[in-house]
Amino acid sequence: MGQTPQFDDGVVVGLGTVGKAPAVVVSQESKFLGGGVGEAHGTKMVMAIRLALRGQEILESRSKSSESRGRVAVVISFDTGGVRLQEANAGLLAHSEVMDAFQAARGKVPIIGIVGGTVGCFGGMGFVAASVDVLIMSDVGRLGLTGPGVIEEVVGTEEFDAANRALVWRTTGGRHRFITRDADFIVEDTMKAFREKVAEVASWPIEKIASKRIIGTGEMVLEQMRLVDLAANDRIQDSWDLWRQFGNEDIEYLWDSNVSEFEANARRWPRGRVGDND
Amino acid sequence: MPGAGPGGGLEIMINFFGRGRDAIDYIVDEGSFEENLCGGETLDPEWAESAVVGSATLSGETVTVIANDAGIANPRFRMVYAGLMGLEEGFKMAHAVYLTIKADKDKPLAEKRPIILVVDTPGMSPGKVEEIIGIYKSTGAYQLASAEARRAGHPIVAMVVGRAISGGFLCHGLQADRILALSDEFGTMVHVMPLVGIARVTKINIMLLEELSEGNPVFASGVSHFYNLGGVDEIIESVADMRPRVKAQIDEIRRLKAAGEYDKVGPWSRLMSGIKRGGRKTSEKVIELMEEEFNLALSSWLGGEDDGFTP
Repeated sequence: MGQTPQFDDGVVVGLGTVGKAPAVVVSQESKFLGGGVGEAHGTKMVMAIRLALRGQEILESRSKSSESRGRVAVVISFDTGGVRLQEANAGLLAHSEVMDAFQAARGKVPIIGIVGGTVGCFGGMGFVAASVDVLIMSDVGRLGLTGPGVIEEVVGTEEFDAANRALVWRTTGGRHRFITRDADFIVEDTMKAFREKVAEVASWPIEKIASKRIIGTGEMVLEQMRLVDLAANDRIQDSWDLWRQFGNEDIEYLWDSNVSEFEANARRWPRGRVGDND
Repeated sequence: MPGAGPGGGLEIMINFFGRGRDAIDYIVDEGSFEENLCGGETLDPEWAESAVVGSATLSGETVTVIANDAGIANPRFRMVYAGLMGLEEGFKMAHAVYLTIKADKDKPLAEKRPIILVVDTPGMSPGKVEEIIGIYKSTGAYQLASAEARRAGHPIVAMVVGRAISGGFLCHGLQADRILALSDEFGTMVHVMPLVGIARVTKINIMLLEELSEGNPVFASGVSHFYNLGGVDEIIESVADMRPRVKAQIDEIRRLKAAGEYDKVGPWSRLMSGIKRGGRKTSEKVIELMEEEFNLALSSWLGGEDDGFTP
């Protein structure tokens, strides 16, 4: 197709440690075809999760006191527009394989996602990121299903003006996703901040990690439906309408404040489940 | 192409475009579908009506049915129409799956009720409010629910009767144990984007794409290309075959799950089919290489058997 291939297919997979935990790390590279998921890229992600599960099984088989042996974690850095159109069908199928692998990992190997790249996390990878146990975003990171440019092209500029960068960020950016709890943590957009938060989360007991999930049980579906209800009948025109619903009054201040001030003062969706405030 | 309608010998070409609700009766026992009855609970009939969920029987056995009705728009969300799935639709389908799991929680594997997906959707709603709330959670929730039900033993069969397009297919279909599709002759559409769209976005010449698509299933539209990639397990050539083939697949899925062969159903099995059918040659190499490198690195990663784990 006149494209130069790259042997890693836009995603780096490796073994390492985060804090004390052995980790399988998956990192998407948006500089290669926008981080798009093609055949090899997708299969690498699926295999990474399957191998993490195998690593955990090996650890557990060695010793009855598995805690002393550590526990494997998966860390995924998303930076992608989703399916790579040059390999559209294979990329699409890979998304379903990743979701299935996530479900297989539930309760065994925690999956920690981070979004802080220049592309963000869009298309099918949007729901993949929403299905991790814990999601960490920077305020530069963006998360969505249909990208602003696609909405503008398909529906029109009245629906979404993709050239309006402030609108793009307040709809898909880390601050908004933190307020709706889709992002569990918001951090400074630095390697150090991401690394520290990932290591902290990886050290938690698996039950605490799982408690941060936003979807994946019948109860969570009903919780999310209450959030959806707020937006029915055009009641929500802008993400800031939702922020106000949650009791955020000085929106401009929140928007302009630095990340730690924002984190300390933002009032988030009152999810209303026990254990949310830890 | 034979039709399956009443009237015996009439060769009528039936097509279910936009008529997912009508297709239900051709797949389950005729007249058995009870809408909004799900695992013993009754859902609000006004909730996301284009996401059709309910119970039916197939050869007398109770099944859960989840279908698209493209003829109904959602009055609460204006970007949900023509079969597009929105926030409420995905969560409603997920809810139906969780009710199904709950209803059969204490039943043995052989009695977990099947879930039949009738697929005809052009995709997820591309709206602003959908992005503000986070529609990725709606489709993600349904996919996780389906994967959980599949892994809990429920046989899930998707029957593609119209459109299975991009994120819509991922949401509703691709987490099934087995995917059946009416053949291309029925106008069935399975793709991410038509070639003309791919050409526009990637800026690759459409003539080149058309030429390449002849022999390469990784990006071209159509049921047969998806079959070669493993994304469709079986192509159905006549409407009358849908019911017996769905039933036969349910029996086969049950047999595999009873034997613990969970890797022979669902998404991973389709990856394996794609390799076998020659549509995903690269994946085979990727899997081999990663296995090899993982085994080589294992002892330095987790520590040796005797000296314990030291990070």
